[in-house]
Amino acid sequence: MRPENYEARKHPPSNEFELNFGPNHPGIEGNYAFKVKLNGDEVLEAKADAGYLHRGFEKLMEGRLWIQNIALVPRICVPDPVPMEVCYSLAIEEIAGLEVPERAQWIRVMQLEMSRLAAHLFAFGGHAATCGMYTTMFWGVADRDLILDRFEELTGGRVYSIYNIPGGVRRDVPTGFLERLGSLLDYLESRLPDYDNLFFTNQIFIRRARDVGVMSQEQALKWGVTGPNLRATGLAFDVRRDDPYLVYDQIDFDIPTEPGGDCLSRNLVRRSELLQSIRILRQVIERLPSIKGPIRCPIPNPLAWNVPVGESYPRVESSKGELAYYVVSNGGDKPYRVHVRGPSSMHAVQVLEKLAVGSRLEDIAQIMFSLDACPPEVDR
Amino acid sequence: MSKNKTLTKKDQMQQDKAQDGQQMLVDFTRPRTNPMANVFDGLVRFCQSRSMFMLHYCTGCGAIELPPAMTSRFDMERLGIQPMVTPRQADILLITGYVSVKTLKRIILTYEQMAAPKYVIGICSCTVNGGMYWQSYATAKVLREYLPVDIYIAGCMPRPEAIIEGLQVLMDDIKTGRAENWKRYFQNYDYYLGNQQKLFGDHWQTPTDIISEARHYDLITENTLGKHTALLEKHQAPLQALEMTLQQNRERV
Repeated sequence: MRPENYEARKHPPSNEFELNFGPNHPGIEGNYAFKVKLNGDEVLEAKADAGYLHRGFEKLMEGRLWIQNIALVPRICVPDPVPMEVCYSLAIEEIAGLEVPERAQWIRVMQLEMSRLAAHLFAFGGHAATCGMYTTMFWGVADRDLILDRFEELTGGRVYSIYNIPGGVRRDVPTGFLERLGSLLDYLESRLPDYDNLFFTNQIFIRRARDVGVMSQEQALKWGVTGPNLRATGLAFDVRRDDPYLVYDQIDFDIPTEPGGDCLSRNLVRRSELLQSIRILRQVIERLPSIKGPIRCPIPNPLAWNVPVGESYPRVESSKGELAYYVVSNGGDKPYRVHVRGPSSMHAVQVLEKLAVGSRLEDIAQIMFSLDACPPEVDR
Repeated sequence: MSKNKTLTKKDQMQQDKAQDGQQMLVDFTRPRTNPMANVFDGLVRFCQSRSMFMLHYCTGCGAIELPPAMTSRFDMERLGIQPMVTPRQADILLITGYVSVKTLKRIILTYEQMAAPKYVIGICSCTVNGGMYWQSYATAKVLREYLPVDIYIAGCMPRPEAIIEGLQVLMDDIKTGRAENWKRYFQNYDYYLGNQQKLFGDHWQTPTDIISEARHYDLITENTLGKHTALLEKHQAPLQALEMTLQQNRERV
């Protein structure tokens, strides 16, 4: 006789097993982990394991001065740090009612697009490495380094520039910088056919990436996907055009889209965005010398700067997607609350968990790199 | 004779401890007596310094400067350094930047899995003293309290040139036999374990049996075992009790 509430103990089927994927794994972008349940090499279930890079940014920023946080914010997203600085500065400027000079706005646009170029080269280079095509990664990293050299000339820092401050930028553009940037752009544009031959039209890549990690447009909108990943599902949404900030409304550029929604489409969107960024930078090079004026508006003593009471939520288009800062000031010399709305916390956690189901084990790395998820921004 | 010597050393140690109020780190290096052994050691160290595998683990933001250092522009491979995916075959553990408490557990686990001789490089200021995150609740500030660090490369973040130079310094240290910090982990295991327990809680233990490994390498000193390792044994005690009951059951059957 068995009791009424008897339930047979459920054992998992013997062909299913769990695997820890990361954090010490070459297929993971950064310090991030997955717990996957497998049947053979087919993924049945994936669970994100984040928090390896948690530093408590939002708490740290409450304890530092408004100006000190400028040095802190780029660390949130390492491969693409400039939008962080710009977005945080925009938030303070909105609360404090500062008028940013036009020249500073153009310099900021230039930095943002340089940063986007560097981040995209890094992103599809990393994706190529997950398909075993290390040459593309080597080329991408080498070409990104040339952009970092220009960053170093402009700001003094290779990766973290700490160049934007509330009210403008720290220094003016060095003499001869724009010519050197122009020749760099010519070089990068001449490299694009090489990248096409090596990677984007390569059958090794296309057969690996097509119909892998597919999401429809409805799913993408439901899951909060933004940026190139959303544009790869066919929706032409870009914060630069639809909610223009800085001087993007004076700049002529297209928004590339792809219909597929798979890994291939996401990479092709990035490939087209490289061309658009080069186009924007060329317009900046053309316009910037004719815009005279200061590079920042005067701000009070930054060490004793009480930003007036208020809150703001500016958003910018980073290379990963829509980035926004929610900043609240209670009139003190430190922010009362800062919240970061990063694109990667959606892409790397919930989207990746769902896209990985049904794919194969070797495709998880590919899906992660194609989403261009940034683990430090997930954990903060 | 030798007994007397160790006794006096112990007494000195205890006096030092009483004076400082802190646990001392002691490194006993035994000189080799056979001259041929010295020649052979030098040859082995030269080969070790010229073929190092670096564990592919991006623990923090400094990892962004590793791809430029590894690929064609700065090209780490000309020094014989290559990334390696498994800790079992790696020689260098790069700690690239801040270590959150969650990551530190994995780092210690990874470090203990690596085969000796193994070297730890702390890249970025965060590993030296906490760096930008000195007041963060989530990070471990000073890396050398938890692991024996061979080389620090300071900077936020250090440039690829600095990383390459740090690696060259490590190569020189290996060649001349100075880079023997991995022995300190065995010799002063109690100190490192104590710091780890302070951060993770008294129940902290890794699957690796460091004490028997230290016995294997003949690196047991009076600082290997202590009150913190006693806690480790105390925690493992229930397992032994379980084994005993199993044995008793078997005997009954």
